[in-house]
Amino acid sequence: MKRILYTFAIGLLIVSCQKEIDVDLNEADPKVVIEANYTAEDSTVRVRVTQTTNYFDLAPAPEINNAVVTITDANGAVSNVNSIGNGSYELTNYVPAFNTTYSMSVSYNGVEYVAQCEMNPPVPLEDMTFDFYPGFFGSPEGYASNIRFFDPADTVNFYLIVLSKNGSVSDSVPNLILQDDQLTDGNLVERPLFVNPLYETGDVIGMELRSVDSRMFYYYSELQTIAGAQTSAAPANPEGNWSNDALGYFNAYSNSRKIGVVP
Amino acid sequence: MKHFVSLLFVLCLTTAFGQKFTISGSIKDASNGEDVFGAVVKVKELTNVGTTTNAYGFYSLTLEKGDYTLIYRSTGFDPQEFKVSLTEDISKNIELKVPAEVQQIEEMKVSATKENDNITSSEMSVTRFDPKSIETVPVIFGEKDVMKTLQLTPGVKTAGEGNSGFFVRGGGADQNLILLDEAPVYNASHLLGFFSVFNSDAIKDVSLYKSGIPSEFGGRASSVVDIKMRDGNNKNFGASGGIGLIASRLTLEGPIVKDKGSFIISGRRSYADLFLGLSQEDIPDNTKLFFYDLNAKANYRIGEKDRIFLSGYFGRDVFSLGDEFGTSWGNATGTLRWNHIFSQKLFSNTTIVYSNFNYGFDIGTEEEGFGISSSIQDWNLKQDFSYYLNNNNTLKFGVNAIHHTFKPGALTGGNDSFNEIVLDPRYALELGAYIQNDMKIGSRFNVMYGLRYSAFNLMGEGAAYEFNELGEVTSEQRYNNWETIQFYHGLEPRASANFIISENNSVKIGYNRNLQYLHQLSNSTTSFPTDNWVPSSNNVKPQIADQIALGYYQNLNKNMFKMSGEIYYKTLQNQIDYRNGADLFLNNEVEGELVYGQGTAYGFELLVEKKKGKFTGWISYTLSRALRQFDDINDGKQFSARQDRIHDVSIVLMYRVNKSIALSANWVYYTGDAVTFPSGGYEINGTYVPYYTERNGYRMPDYHRLDVGFTWYMKERKRFEHNLNVSIYNAYNRENAYTITFSENDNGEPVAIQTTLFKIIPSITYNFNLKNFNFKKKTN
Repeated sequence: MKRILYTFAIGLLIVSCQKEIDVDLNEADPKVVIEANYTAEDSTVRVRVTQTTNYFDLAPAPEINNAVVTITDANGAVSNVNSIGNGSYELTNYVPAFNTTYSMSVSYNGVEYVAQCEMNPPVPLEDMTFDFYPGFFGSPEGYASNIRFFDPADTVNFYLIVLSKNGSVSDSVPNLILQDDQLTDGNLVERPLFVNPLYETGDVIGMELRSVDSRMFYYYSELQTIAGAQTSAAPANPEGNWSNDALGYFNAYSNSRKIGVVP
Repeated sequence: MKHFVSLLFVLCLTTAFGQKFTISGSIKDASNGEDVFGAVVKVKELTNVGTTTNAYGFYSLTLEKGDYTLIYRSTGFDPQEFKVSLTEDISKNIELKVPAEVQQIEEMKVSATKENDNITSSEMSVTRFDPKSIETVPVIFGEKDVMKTLQLTPGVKTAGEGNSGFFVRGGGADQNLILLDEAPVYNASHLLGFFSVFNSDAIKDVSLYKSGIPSEFGGRASSVVDIKMRDGNNKNFGASGGIGLIASRLTLEGPIVKDKGSFIISGRRSYADLFLGLSQEDIPDNTKLFFYDLNAKANYRIGEKDRIFLSGYFGRDVFSLGDEFGTSWGNATGTLRWNHIFSQKLFSNTTIVYSNFNYGFDIGTEEEGFGISSSIQDWNLKQDFSYYLNNNNTLKFGVNAIHHTFKPGALTGGNDSFNEIVLDPRYALELGAYIQNDMKIGSRFNVMYGLRYSAFNLMGEGAAYEFNELGEVTSEQRYNNWETIQFYHGLEPRASANFIISENNSVKIGYNRNLQYLHQLSNSTTSFPTDNWVPSSNNVKPQIADQIALGYYQNLNKNMFKMSGEIYYKTLQNQIDYRNGADLFLNNEVEGELVYGQGTAYGFELLVEKKKGKFTGWISYTLSRALRQFDDINDGKQFSARQDRIHDVSIVLMYRVNKSIALSANWVYYTGDAVTFPSGGYEINGTYVPYYTERNGYRMPDYHRLDVGFTWYMKERKRFEHNLNVSIYNAYNRENAYTITFSENDNGEPVAIQTTLFKIIPSITYNFNLKNFNFKKKTN
């Protein structure tokens, strides 16, 4: 809502202008960043361990290859997630148990970072539909897809929606779509997912609905307020689920997919 | 409390015996019959004896039997003398005249009394002006705005470029009590803050209290902005108005019965949407973007002792895009007042106030869309007395009760996807009682002291929640209608004292404590109608502000120049901030998103002003800090509030070249806002994300800007005067930073992007005034 108003304020009323400027930023001590995904779809755990850099550094993030990474299931069984180089770690054929909590441990430089995440079962998508929209504010006319799925009643659900067009996946942080069921619990959820530019006839649209736990949902919504030129009055690091102040997250999730062609 | 009251009365009875009589009456503007507020009544033969008129132009002075010369005076009027032989109680009404020619103002009048009330009054940290005196000050889009002029005075900082919101002495934007004819205005801005809701044409007087806040005001922690609407001309009919780039205005006024009652109706509507239609082909039909204001007031005198006033304000912003999206928000206030003069010494004012702010959204088409609405509504019953005990003591006392209804939000829809959701309404009763004495001790010492008692009762029907450290609900308890959920109360002592060193300089000291039971939730830099007000509750404690201030006042060159220097120190308790990623919208458990802390503010303010002559204006400088400390923010370390602008300078100059031309300019400079910038970066999902190490640890670039204005007063006729005002905002086209954001450019390299909101903006406004129409004369 605020974004709509904000756009209206900046875009309509005012002759505003933007330019790139030089800002003298402090150089903070490097901090450990752990990006860990456990995907039910392919039963694979993927972890990437890096460090922060100075903001304007163009060099790639320093990779950490000598961390010890393990994942533990609800029964206490520990599995190693082994380094595959380039700061990445992987464990395949790790079959999920839905509605259970997994925990992960990453040890590096004498510090152990721990996170827990619940693996939620997938929620199936119904066939998507498309609606035509006249363009406004300078963007051309086109189609937007409507997501359709039945939200499970009486449970609190959190979703991440990822779209793709003609095989190219929009999973960067600003393009992720967040959805909870605060207003829609137990209903057929049906809403347009606007993209810029809108789709054209013949585009092949992929839709992925990820079921995530509440902590991850709030992590991503906080992340979205600081990633991609957002103007929060008081930006802060999103609160991930890692202990000992490591940045990043551990996300165990399931998903469902649908493909549609714009008529 | 008891001791305090008895002490008060002992102090009042310090005058000598002897036969005393009272002279009382009202002071009006001879040209239109408007009451003159704050006019001075002095006794020529006695030093430091006098009084000022209250908001209704009433004065009362009790003197020993004898012969006196009374001097009646107010800024912008010729003083008047009245010789009186006081052998009985006397009623005397005075009409003050405006000097016949503007040129006369240039020459200093050598009058019997000096215009040094700023030196002799115990009032401190008060900024007061009538919109007329600042009408040539250049403003953005040429829309005269008293709130923006206030921002050019010391200790008042703008909420942002072109914004009508403001911070007073390190306080928050929600800590200003903004009253329009005693009715609180909850959202005082139009178009996301770029215009205030106050139409200058309808306003008589604006007073801002930064410290030494009189006991009669309560409910906000940092300041009071008391705005009084004009009563309307009770002698002749008139019409005035203006046509500007953004909006047009029209005011009609006149007598209901000559010299007995009058009315005024003033309207304003913007027409930005008309330009939109012209410039953008892509904008769907049925797109609206406008705001309007309507001020109306009537008063009628029933006999010599009674007078009633009815005033109202209605304003609304409307924005819609085709049939898909519509929103509107606005305030409505109403005030009914009854003045009664019980005796020459006791003046009473009884008021009923209604205030409402609401907003609504409609999204999507009728079958598929949904709507969101929210409101806050007050009913306030007030009784105030002024008791002119003797010429050394003026007492004010009164009580009031406000009933608040908060409807934080409701979502209703035709779409099957959405469940209807109605947030619990909340109800509260806010009570206040106060007593205050303005006392003169000898010829050099004045003291104003008072005590306010306030209480706040949050009551059902509704729910109270308890939260754990993470902001998750741990328990919920339901309450019935009128059942107390949480009760708070407290005493608010206020005092200021003035020691008059000579007729040209004085020293003042003040202390005040203010309690604030309502809080506005806003986590953005812009003013949004969705910034809800919430009451104090079992989780949210009342905000408490304590402030001490010390000032030195000096007039130079026969009161031509008035100088003041003030220092203050203020502490704020129970301040509110938000958890990361707080969800303030349609959230029944919104209190779980809040964190609590404290604030400290201190500073030095310097003001030099010249109010008479061809050349008028002021220079204002503020050196100040505004700091906050929250256990849950910045690792518990103290940090700068956004408005922690260390240096703040405003220079306002107005030059009346001759009868037909006036020039003006203002220049502002302030240290950049305290902001949070990244000190590192990392990648998540292939997106480069800023890494923050501290809250508000960086500074925006310093802000500065020059505005210039030119007013041409065209040839005046007997019943018609008009002028043309041309102004240029940001005349040297400074690209001030509104925001600085960090993101990746097209090559995937991290960059800092500065957004400038307003570059050079010229504007033009035409104003006219049709006056002195008297329909009766015509028929004769």
